[in-house]
Amino acid sequence: MSYRKFIVPIAATALALTSLVGCSPASPAPTEPGATAPETGQPAPARPLRVWAGNSTPISVDFNPFHVDNALHATFGAIYEPLFFFNELKANPPTGLVGESFELSEDGLVLTVKVKANQKWSDGEPLTADDVVFTYTHPYNKSDHLVSAEATDATTVVLTYDEPQFTSVPLLMGNTWMLPKHIWEPIGDKWNDQVNENPVGSGPYVVSATSDASYSTVGNPNFRDGVPAVSEVQYIGLDSNQSSEDMLKTGQLDWVGQFIANPDPVVADGVIATMNNQLDPTVVIACVTVELGCKGPQTDPAVRQALNLAIDRSAIAEKAFAGLTGLSNPAMVLLPRDEQWVTDATLKESPQQADAAAAEQILVAAGYAKNDKGIYAKDGKALSLDLFSPDGWTDYNDAAKLISEAAGKAGIEIKYRTVSEAQYWDPVGQGDFQLAMFGLTQSQVPDPYQVYYEYYTTGRTTATGDWPNGQNYSRYSNKVVDAAVKKAAGTNDDAIKKAAYAEVQTEIAKDLPYIPVVLNASQAFFNVRDFTGWPTQDNLYANPLPYRAVASAVVLANLEPAQ
Amino acid sequence: MSFYLRRIAFYLITLWAAISLNFLLPRMMPGDPASIMLGKLRRAAGGRPLTDEAIQTVRLLFGADKTTPLWDQYLAYWGQMLRFDLGISSTRYPYTVVSLIADALPWTLVLVGTATLISFVLGIVVGGWVGWKRGTWLDHLVPVTTLLQSIPYFWLALVLVAVFSVQLGLLPIFGGYDPFSFPGGPEWSWAFISSAAKHAILPAVTIVISSIGGWLLGMRNMMVSTMSEDYVLTAEAKGLRPSRVRDRYAARNAAIPSLAGFGIALAFVVAGSIVMEQVFTYPGIGKLMIQAVQNLDYALMQGVFLVITLTVLAANFVMDLIYGIIDPRVRTHG
Repeated sequence: MSYRKFIVPIAATALALTSLVGCSPASPAPTEPGATAPETGQPAPARPLRVWAGNSTPISVDFNPFHVDNALHATFGAIYEPLFFFNELKANPPTGLVGESFELSEDGLVLTVKVKANQKWSDGEPLTADDVVFTYTHPYNKSDHLVSAEATDATTVVLTYDEPQFTSVPLLMGNTWMLPKHIWEPIGDKWNDQVNENPVGSGPYVVSATSDASYSTVGNPNFRDGVPAVSEVQYIGLDSNQSSEDMLKTGQLDWVGQFIANPDPVVADGVIATMNNQLDPTVVIACVTVELGCKGPQTDPAVRQALNLAIDRSAIAEKAFAGLTGLSNPAMVLLPRDEQWVTDATLKESPQQADAAAAEQILVAAGYAKNDKGIYAKDGKALSLDLFSPDGWTDYNDAAKLISEAAGKAGIEIKYRTVSEAQYWDPVGQGDFQLAMFGLTQSQVPDPYQVYYEYYTTGRTTATGDWPNGQNYSRYSNKVVDAAVKKAAGTNDDAIKKAAYAEVQTEIAKDLPYIPVVLNASQAFFNVRDFTGWPTQDNLYANPLPYRAVASAVVLANLEPAQ
Repeated sequence: MSFYLRRIAFYLITLWAAISLNFLLPRMMPGDPASIMLGKLRRAAGGRPLTDEAIQTVRLLFGADKTTPLWDQYLAYWGQMLRFDLGISSTRYPYTVVSLIADALPWTLVLVGTATLISFVLGIVVGGWVGWKRGTWLDHLVPVTTLLQSIPYFWLALVLVAVFSVQLGLLPIFGGYDPFSFPGGPEWSWAFISSAAKHAILPAVTIVISSIGGWLLGMRNMMVSTMSEDYVLTAEAKGLRPSRVRDRYAARNAAIPSLAGFGIALAFVVAGSIVMEQVFTYPGIGKLMIQAVQNLDYALMQGVFLVITLTVLAANFVMDLIYGIIDPRVRTHG
């Protein structure tokens, strides 16, 4: 899943590259070639909403809900839906999509789901509890801990597990795509071998046309809430951020999620509005556990602690990310959303200014001494580290450069280089690296469990040489963290959970397998003149990013053509 | 006639050598490219087992286990080539390499091919004229066009887009055609063809602007040196019309070296214009190549390189034939 989000940084770099030119026209052209919106106050004729969700060309048709990394964006949310929508921006309870309500038993073992009545698939067949049972028992979705899945009546499903599911609820209820049994049962075990050109789902849209350059969806006539007001949505493929920026300015594109360092010219005439939500931490990942095969000075926690103090986060945010990022925190939670889970107030923000003296103190205390080149060394080995980031991701590359400079001032030598994307993933996946620029995915719900479990537990990593099962690429392994995460998984008592998270936070803030740098920006741009109903700062009902699964479909279903 | 037979035989042998080399290279590489490719395909398939045919194809393309004799592998490889089966791409799983190339190739051929041809013809005609009128103000065209050629391509393209597409709104910003009018993709209609033609203008103009200088300079200089040849002097002395001296005597001979260069340029048309495709989001082969290389998708890489090899050979063959017509000497001495 981590591959999916990389679509955006790739695109972001294309912009950074082209922005070097710096001679784009001062004022956006008022003419609108291609746009059909009338000049006068007459009602706009219904036109498709045009989206760029980050796809490059040629677009490969793939609506298979099992292809989580390859399928086109509309697959997840607009066509196939989970039971509920979890809004990552708010601590609100989940809203029902296919599902009406769900209830987890006291012991966390039995999940009872009510499905909305009288629903239909887009081909007109009824959607019942049987389909939901089929989905949860499908080999792709079936949990090892699932004991039974039963439809007790047409709208009730009872899922029984042999392990408490308190922390799996977002995954089960918000990230499992409902499958029509009458379509996928005959396909049997060939479910992965197709691109599913004509998907049958429950969501607000169905596919109407596809080509190399774009794909289009129209309102699903069988959708439970009726055909959405924006009855046609076209997703295009683009290879350069500059094109998308130009098309936003000239009114040819209505919805984009991309990095634009200077958004002012785009939003100047009030047609396009922007929103920037900072969610996902950008970090320096280190290969930390010697027992699992990691090599290098970064395996010493003192070195990572020194680095954490030596880097100048405010300079990085300004110079590398155009000031669009948020503040990172060593507890790796999203604030203020997750406020209730942080006990130690010092863990709510990483130091924003460089403190070389404090960094050097840590190194000296750990037995390092400066050599004749001014670099700290221990046992005759100088502190020299390797740091890399993918070619062309200029924001990451600039950040790495600044980190390397700041570390030099604290007597730590960081040799920084860029690698091609293929050469980035192989060493990171196989643990054959010292330091790398990296991005974590923020927890979807107001509970940091997913982050702690995926990135910090021993069960989600493996020895170097193999790809881990989970996302723990740093090879971090800490018995205290493992036990605390397990404790949090087995309880529904907030006080116990909070205590467990406090233990995790203390450990990871000390061990720093991922050194937090900033919270990465995620900018969205949308046409507020021709379409209304977008999320606003006061009404953040969903993250308005066209590439975000489910959230994008919730936004689409909420939009209306402007009168 | 034997000239053409000899050329055909020569190209057949070269073709055989090129494809055989394609067969041998992955087998001589250190490591085991076949299992790397199989691993990539498995990952693309979500960790699911691959079909036997898919595994067989990869094994034939990149090296089978040591037990199969090399000769048997070689024969099977040729069978595969003749069926146009180049395997499955791992970056665009589960699409086949052949279908990806077939979708991209026409765009590259038409746009880059036409642009290269226009650039060549313009360069030769104008270059010949400038050479004929040497010493006049027309000589200034040479530094002007070479200056245009030295501008970084992507910068030129961005400036033209900013002016003609964004400011003036005359031309489209991106794409091979208007996806908003044709959401279902390419179709055979005048509306589509005119849309595609309109979308080709800016990319073609940028390619022409950035490549014409070389042709013009080369042709102009050859023209100047050809005009000092004795046979041109003789032709003038005979009292032939200046236009006949210019076209039939000077220009025809001066164009020969450029024509050889054109053969090579034409061959590399198929490799696409990677930067152009990126800036304009134009469909084409260059994009496939860069994606294949970035993701180490051996099947796609090999497919693209094979197509490039074939066109280099074909273009050279065609140029050889044209050469034989323009310069009859090669038919007897070649």
